[in-house]
Parts: sequence; structure tokens; C-alpha cells
Amino acid sequence: MNAPTLSVSHLTKRFGTAATEVVAVRDVSLEVAPGEVVLIMGPSGSGKTTLLLMLGALLRGSEGEIRLDGEVLSALPEDKLPAIRLRRFGFIFQDFNLLSALTALENVAIVAELAGVRSKDAKARATKLLLDLGLGERLHFLPEKLSGGEKQRVAIARALVNDPTFILADEPTANLDSKIGHEIMRLLRSIAKEQGRSIVIVSHDQRIKDIADRVLWLEDGAFKEATAMLVDPVCGMHVEQASGIVAVWDDERFAFCSRGCRDEFLAKPYRFFADAEASGRHETAVRDVVRQEAALAGGRT
Amino acid sequence: MFHLAHRNLFQSKAKALMAMGGVALAFMLIFSLDAVLAGLEGRIASFIEKTGADVWVAQSGVRNMHMASSTIPRSVVDQVRTIEGVAEASPVRYLTNVIVRDDKPYIAYVIGLPEGATMGTPAKIAAGDAYPKPGEVIVDGALRQESAKVGDTVQILGSDFRIGGLAEGLASTLSSLAFIRLDDFDRLLGNASTTSYVLVRVAPGVSPDDVAARIEAAVPSVTASSTARFGGEERKVVRDMSTEIAVIMNLAGVLIGLAVMALSVYTTTVSRLSEFGLLRALGAARRHCYGVVLGQAVLTVALGFGLGLAFTYAASAIAPLVDPLLYMQITWPSILKAAGISLVVAGLAAIAPIAQISGVDPAIVFRRKVA
Repeated sequence: MNAPTLSVSHLTKRFGTAATEVVAVRDVSLEVAPGEVVLIMGPSGSGKTTLLLMLGALLRGSEGEIRLDGEVLSALPEDKLPAIRLRRFGFIFQDFNLLSALTALENVAIVAELAGVRSKDAKARATKLLLDLGLGERLHFLPEKLSGGEKQRVAIARALVNDPTFILADEPTANLDSKIGHEIMRLLRSIAKEQGRSIVIVSHDQRIKDIADRVLWLEDGAFKEATAMLVDPVCGMHVEQASGIVAVWDDERFAFCSRGCRDEFLAKPYRFFADAEASGRHETAVRDVVRQEAALAGGRT
Repeated sequence: MFHLAHRNLFQSKAKALMAMGGVALAFMLIFSLDAVLAGLEGRIASFIEKTGADVWVAQSGVRNMHMASSTIPRSVVDQVRTIEGVAEASPVRYLTNVIVRDDKPYIAYVIGLPEGATMGTPAKIAAGDAYPKPGEVIVDGALRQESAKVGDTVQILGSDFRIGGLAEGLASTLSSLAFIRLDDFDRLLGNASTTSYVLVRVAPGVSPDDVAARIEAAVPSVTASSTARFGGEERKVVRDMSTEIAVIMNLAGVLIGLAVMALSVYTTTVSRLSEFGLLRALGAARRHCYGVVLGQAVLTVALGFGLGLAFTYAASAIAPLVDPLLYMQITWPSILKAAGISLVVAGLAAIAPIAQISGVDPAIVFRRKVA
């Protein structure tokens, strides 16, 4: 594994003191490799937003450390953080959050201009990104004239315009219909895989599991206890047996955080076991007994 | 960032126009009052400067006409004529009073001119005679505007006078002028041995200031001023009288402009707080956000300033058509003063919105989910 883009170590966030103290995030550790897509899921109130804010350098943790490309963000003074957010992070939001008075092109270019790029160059850079994302006909449209999918692609272009290593996406498909949501997911995955950017997505959308390399379950401020959970042989993540995606190979039951990991596993299972070839295990037929929970059903078997 | 300020301002054109219109009207108030006062200043000394005299000799301490009274012995005229550099000297009597026509009074400078006077006579005649015959008056100003005709009868100090001519280019909104013969003036007021002023024309190549100094040295109890200085003092009196009014009206203009501006910039900013939060979340520094608000305020004020100035120029072109005595003169000092005011107004109007966005938490972009 390459050196992680993002490394979170024992991160805790407390609000209030003494009797009114609430621990929103509790001793969370996480590493995200370059090109990796990590999906963080969890119920409402689990601490996802607080974690998201801390990962995005918008909120300081009470304890622990966050490193981005080796630099300790949690140690930086407040006035340094906007520049870090501007140049090293890309943000994608559920509500798209485009500036309503600016055109698609201007919405993307302004972020480059904020980073010190000359207006002409910023517009050229923004134009290229929007063309790449299929918005060539919409460059001079105001957000109100764009569809939800187009707005989210503008937001993605905006997130990419300063060439960040790390992208944070907050419910990026929540306001999109199924087809467009799927397009956006594929787009995010290709950005991660082809451009080597790390992406952390916080979402309730089960469909995003399809493109995620890892799925993490946050509950009560902590990633869920790994005991009584199975280890995904592809990414090493602990996943619930009951709600996960499973396969049986060589009479052994495996659980996966996402269909992506499962498919990767099923293609060449023996790759994930150091002694498989020596023991002849790679000859074993794969019997896929994929079982989907009700939430994963709906035509996606 | 200025681009964003511009786009924010004009996203709702109706709101932008209302804001700029309000500011424009406030500036028009400032410009118009200044222009009217400047016009008045320019006109108030018209008679003095068009008399053809180079030096005015008055009672000691008197340096102008408006709201002033001067009485000197008429013998001073002969004394002045003997002074080196004096080519011609002529008495002129003056009184601020009313002319009554059809029972309607008009405030006027009543000027008494000696027979054959070459100084102090109306410079331009629209109709009738340039010099009054006995029992006649030449009028200029409000009376002439109200359709007075040659041959009409008016009352001056209780006596009837026939209008013998209509002059133009001398009156202002403050006063009209009425020229009568000096002997008629003496008959009405008595004191035929006195005059109000002595008008002096100096010999070619001689400095009026030098002659004025010689007159003061030679003739006791008089003050002699060059026409330039005498006219300047006349303007100063008007300026001094109008300063307080100008300050009050300017202040009113500033406050109206400030209120319109502050409300406009504040509502626009507050309605976009989440967008400022977004900018902060994306990495914009506070100064970038402040720049957007300030840019919007400056843009609104600048456009309102330009519109207000244009409106005032239009009003100054229309005013003489409505009232020929109303002369509006827009001056550079007035424009520069208003420009300074506009910067202050823009700065003040931006304070409250800047305070608002300084408190915006960039996490507002995720706030929906925190709740």
C-alpha cells in the first residue's frame, strides 16, 4: 500500500464539558490510500458530519491527529487552514452549493482565482474540466438553469479545479435520481482510479457501496466494533455478516464491504492468500452465493 | 471577487435598480442643493460685475450690497474724480425694497442712476429703454417673469412708476432689480446730498486695487474695493448664509443614502450567508468575503453617484425652462465632496453585513445534517 493520503489517528471530538459533555467522535483511526474510495455510512446522529468537518479541516478535534500528505493538519494554526482547504481539498455537497449568481464556468473558475490563478488561466482550466465532464454546452448557464446531475458535475469540476489530492463528498447522490446518481458514482470512482485522488464519501446511499473500495460503519461516534464481524479479504475492512455481501469459496465464507471488493475477489480469489498457489487452493471452484439484504435488493442482485 | 460582487448585485435587477435609484436620489439631493447655491453665488454678483465700474466706493466698512446699507456724502463723487488714475466717477443709490404690481409685492434691489450714467445701467435689454425716463422703471427678475410689459404700472415706495424697459441677465432667485432715475430716488427717500456708492472707472492700464487704495487714503470714512473684490464679498455673504442649510441638507442626503445603501447591502448579504459560508468552506479567506460585500457597496454607491449626477445635470438643464431665475451650477468641489461622501457611505453601509459574515461558520455548508 502506498503512503496514505489521509491518516487519522485516535481522533476524538467532544462538545460541552462535564455533565453536558457529548462525545461526537470517539477515538477514530483511518487511513485512505491514494486512489482509494472510502464510504462512511452510519445512522443519523452517529457522528458522520462531525467527522466530515474534522476531515475537511473545518472543525478541530479534541484529541488525535489528522495528517494530509504527511502534514499534520490538526497542528496547523487556524489562519493556515483556508489555504489548505483551497488547494489540497475538494468538496462535493449534497445540495451542490453553487453560487447562484455565477455561471457554471464562473463557479469553477472562482475557486482557482481564490487560489491565486489569474482570471484568464482559471477560466481556461475551468473550461477544460467542464468540457471533460460533458458540460461544454452549459458553460454559461446559471445554476438555476442546470439539472441536478449537471449541477453536481459542476460541483465536481469545482472540487477538481485546484488539483487536490483528497476529495470529501457529502451525500453526493442524495438529490439525484437513480440513473444520474449512478453516473456521478462512476465518475467519482474514475476520478479516484485514473487520477489517483483519494475520496471519502459520507452517505446513506447503499448504491455507493458499488464503487467504494471500503465501506466503514460509524455508530455512536466510533467505527463499529470489529468483533463478530468478518474481515474483507480484499481491503481488510471489518464488515457485518448480516448486512454485508458474502461469497463462499473453498467451503469458506467471506464477507465484503462492497460489491467492488467482492467482484475483485471473485475474479482471482487466490491472489488474496499468500499460500493459495502452493496448496493448490486456486484450483477450487468458486461458488458465488451472494446474498443481498433487503436494502441492497431492488434489482441489483 | 469584484466580479462576484457585481454578479450578486445584478442577479436581481429590480432590487439593484431600487438600491441604486435610492442612492441616486440621495446624491441628487446633495448635488442639487449645491448646484442651486453655486448658481445663486454665480448670479448674485451679476449686477456688480456688469456695471462697467472698476472700483466701488462705500461707507466705511461696507464691502458688498446684499443685506448691506451704505450712505456717504454725494460730495465724495467729486473728491474721487480728482484722484490719480480715476477716469470717471458716478453716484448710485441703492435700497432693498419691494415693487408692487397688481397688489403683489416683489423683493427688489431699487437702483437710482444719475441722468446720462454710463455705469450701473442694465447690461442687456429685452424690451423698451435701457435708461429710465422720469417716473419710469426698468425691471429685471421675478416681475419680468410674471408677464410684466412695457407700459405696465408698478408701485415703488408708494409711488407709481411706468415700466419703461425690461432688462435681463442680472436678477437671481434672491432678488429682482429695478432701475429708476436718481432724482426719482431722491424724491422718494430724500437726502439728496447722499449716495449709497460711488462707481469708479479707472484710466486704461491702471490697477483698480491701486486706485481703491488711493481713494481710501484720500477720502475719509469710505471703503473702496475693486469690483472683483466687491463681487467676491457679495458671493461670500450668500455662501455664509447658506452654509448651515447646505450642511443640513447634505447630512439629510448622506443619511438617506446611507439608509438605502445599508439596507440594500445588508439584505443582499444576509440572503447569501450560506454562500459566504460556502466560500469560507472552500478556502476563501475572510478578506475575500469582506471584499465581496465592500465591492457590492462601492459598486452600488458608484452607480448611484453617477445616476444622481446625471439626474442633476438633467435637472439643471430643465430648471431654467421652468424658472429662468433658477440657475443650477454643478461644480467640481461639489462633485469631489460627494465622491468623498460616497466612499464614507459605502464603507459605513458595509460594516453591518461584514459583521454578519465575520460570524459565519464555514461548517454552515453541512449544518443541515448537524441538526
